[in-house]
Amino acid sequence: MEERQYRSASGAPIALRRRQHSASCRELAVRCPRLQLRSLSAVTSTVWLAAYGLFALSENSMVLSAAIFITLVGLIIYLHFVKVDQESLLVIGSLGIQVTSSYASGKESTTFIEMSQVKDVVINEAIHMQKVIYYLCILLQDPGDPQGVSEVVPLFQSSKPRLDCLIELYKSCQEILEQGRTDPQVE
Amino acid sequence: ENSPAPLPERAIYGFALFLGSWFGFILYLIWAYIPETWLFSLGLTYWPQKYWAVALPTYLLVAIGIGYILLFGINMMSTAPLNSTHTITDNYAKKQQQKKYQEEAIPALRDIPISEVNRMFFLPEK
Repeated sequence: MEERQYRSASGAPIALRRRQHSASCRELAVRCPRLQLRSLSAVTSTVWLAAYGLFALSENSMVLSAAIFITLVGLIIYLHFVKVDQESLLVIGSLGIQVTSSYASGKESTTFIEMSQVKDVVINEAIHMQKVIYYLCILLQDPGDPQGVSEVVPLFQSSKPRLDCLIELYKSCQEILEQGRTDPQVE
Repeated sequence: ENSPAPLPERAIYGFALFLGSWFGFILYLIWAYIPETWLFSLGLTYWPQKYWAVALPTYLLVAIGIGYILLFGINMMSTAPLNSTHTITDNYAKKQQQKKYQEEAIPALRDIPISEVNRMFFLPEK
């Protein structure tokens, strides 16, 4: 098990942790940067200052309690639905690939893709919000066409690692996937 | 045949456009500034309301400003999302035919599948 520091596409520090459970099973986890105290206090102070300005204009004290309520509810929603703490990929050679996102509130959301549906794991580049980014994605097999791709599943969307981290992830995944391709022929 | 060099016809078109645009501008200034009573006394009664002398330029400028934002938005909307197959292939690549490989000839141009490209870029050992 090893852990290395990389950078995300926007420059924030992220950490990649690799664990080899067995010869054909590997877990790759990318930890996103934590919620910063200074950005949290900056957002809270701007919302509360705006609410105080509204209160000074309208003399209605409900504005202040509404602002406090909105801040609390907004923070809970953000931590539970938006802020991803860790994204991990569990590749099991003959079985499939499991993608897990853990949110800051502790919620975990998991997707499992069978190995027969997986055509390949590749690094693709695409335009995203006025930038060209590299991202790792799983290509799903088209049942009717052996050469076709039916769907693209992008991975690590919240941490958005840069190319050096993606190359490590790609090599790790390809080692496991190649075992699955060559072993059936050996037997 | 089609060169951007100056020609007599182009000079005439240019001068006609120049005179036309000056005439249009002077006409617009007359319509916007000269009081209605003076125009009526000259016999020119059937002109649009002066409201439009201010409204039309305003409409034009707001339309240009919205056009910037609209173009930006249309571009963002037509960019393929990260999970679409259009980032990997398209109809032409799916239907392409494989040409037979000839010895000592440059291989024919074709769309290389993304798996092959990835292997070539990121996997070489040494």
